[in-house]
Amino acid sequence: MYPKYLSFGFSLLALGACSNDAPQAISSSDALSGAALLSASCSGCHMKGNEALVDLSERSAEQIEVSVLAYKRDASGQTVMHRLARGYSETEIAEIAAFLAAEPTGERDE
Amino acid sequence: MNRVSRREALMGLSALGIGLLSPSRAIAQTKARLVVVGGGFGGASAARMLKVLLPNSQVTLIEQNETYTACPFSNLVVSGERALGQQVFRYDALPRMGIDIITDRASGVDAANKTVSLENGSDVPFDRLILSPGIDFRWGALEGYDQTSTQAMPHAWKAGEQTLRLRAQLREMQDGGTVVMSVPAAPFRCPPGPYERASLIAHYLKINKPKSKLLILDAKDNFSKQPLFQQAWKQLYGGTLEWRGASDDGRVSRIDAEAMTLETDFETFQANVANVIPPQQAGAIAATAGVANETGWCPVNPVTFQSTLQSDIHVIGDAIIAAPMPKSAFSANLQAKVCATQIARLLAGLAPAPTTLVNTCYSFVSPNSAVSISGVYKNDGEFNSIEGAGGLSRLSPADGDRAREANQARDWFAAITQEAFG
Repeated sequence: MYPKYLSFGFSLLALGACSNDAPQAISSSDALSGAALLSASCSGCHMKGNEALVDLSERSAEQIEVSVLAYKRDASGQTVMHRLARGYSETEIAEIAAFLAAEPTGERDE
Repeated sequence: MNRVSRREALMGLSALGIGLLSPSRAIAQTKARLVVVGGGFGGASAARMLKVLLPNSQVTLIEQNETYTACPFSNLVVSGERALGQQVFRYDALPRMGIDIITDRASGVDAANKTVSLENGSDVPFDRLILSPGIDFRWGALEGYDQTSTQAMPHAWKAGEQTLRLRAQLREMQDGGTVVMSVPAAPFRCPPGPYERASLIAHYLKINKPKSKLLILDAKDNFSKQPLFQQAWKQLYGGTLEWRGASDDGRVSRIDAEAMTLETDFETFQANVANVIPPQQAGAIAATAGVANETGWCPVNPVTFQSTLQSDIHVIGDAIIAAPMPKSAFSANLQAKVCATQIARLLAGLAPAPTTLVNTCYSFVSPNSAVSISGVYKNDGEFNSIEGAGGLSRLSPADGDRAREANQARDWFAAITQEAFG
């Protein structure tokens, strides 16, 4: 079974329906969206099975968002995630969390 | 793609985010010929990301070697903590995803006719090209240091035989010997790398050859993670390691590999083992393709990674001018994913979208303790660090911080190599 964050692709909107629209019309769950671009930074570390660098595969969007926001707001923290989280707005953090945790809704491998 | 092969492909890309991207109908239908040159962290990641985003496109990776030997963690091979085999990665996962691999050297790029020429004489046509050529050395930039000198004085700045050579020389050295490292001016691949290597060599000497010395001759006065390294050196390697910056006559101006000497403006140093990290430039294909400028590095549009000199060619990784984003495996892998996504957007008729990028580099200061540097960057117009974000590990660490970052470094290596090579 795939973890949730690996399965978000199956919920993508068909871009064919909106390929002539402005970029902002693309769903946030889309692989080419701003959220996808922002989230590209996460996968170089957070691999399934990792322990020292948290495996996000079973985490909900809310769990990811709450956790990253806590890093951002902890002014005295100096772990890597504290240092990185300060570079993102709260909106961006919410977008990333939603993107990483998106649930599959369509086709799925058994 | 049938079920099995898709599952295999996707399992290979099991890292976060690029696992099960299911592209939309419009972009899935593109038959574009997408060619990637260079199978390192940048190129291998780019080829894989392109194939995931654009499954019907024809993705070709041109790489001269059958396997890739990774530089990150190779300083642990130098100091004997790790086997070189742990640094070697195969490309098997790529053809399983439907990526064509050409094992040959790309010898030229015809930007006007959109073809890459191979050493075997054939041409590979492309609609879009990503060059991820890494670095080459500027032979002759450091007087006396040429390809022949690398036998006596290894650079070990491309991992493989050179890494083993440096390790063997350290092992063969008598106790009481002097190891000298020469570090170039910026920019070069892996800014904190020389200092991690110095730390691990000092560790090896301290344990195995305690009467020996390590002297670092540096063409700079300031370097990456400097306070953290200098703190560790003082605490761990006080009697073993000495660093000399440029204003302390540290810049090496001439080398004699036969005599095993390194000269600065005012002194000549005799070495038993010498590690010379030479001045660098973008990999040779960059100049041939016309994407390198007078600096030897490649200027790019920071949003799309399109060369500002050849707009159908994208360039990523160590070869590009992206400061303050460093020349690191982390950067190359992330640039690959962003570049591939922007190419998919362009093919779908969407405008390129600026974003936020990050980098994190861990460095071992001893085999079980590490420090880190992070940066967060905007790429709208140019690469800029986001103020208030990023920075170094704490200088006064809480108990276990350094060991924790060493564990994080190991997890990072596992994740980044899986994302790049499957």
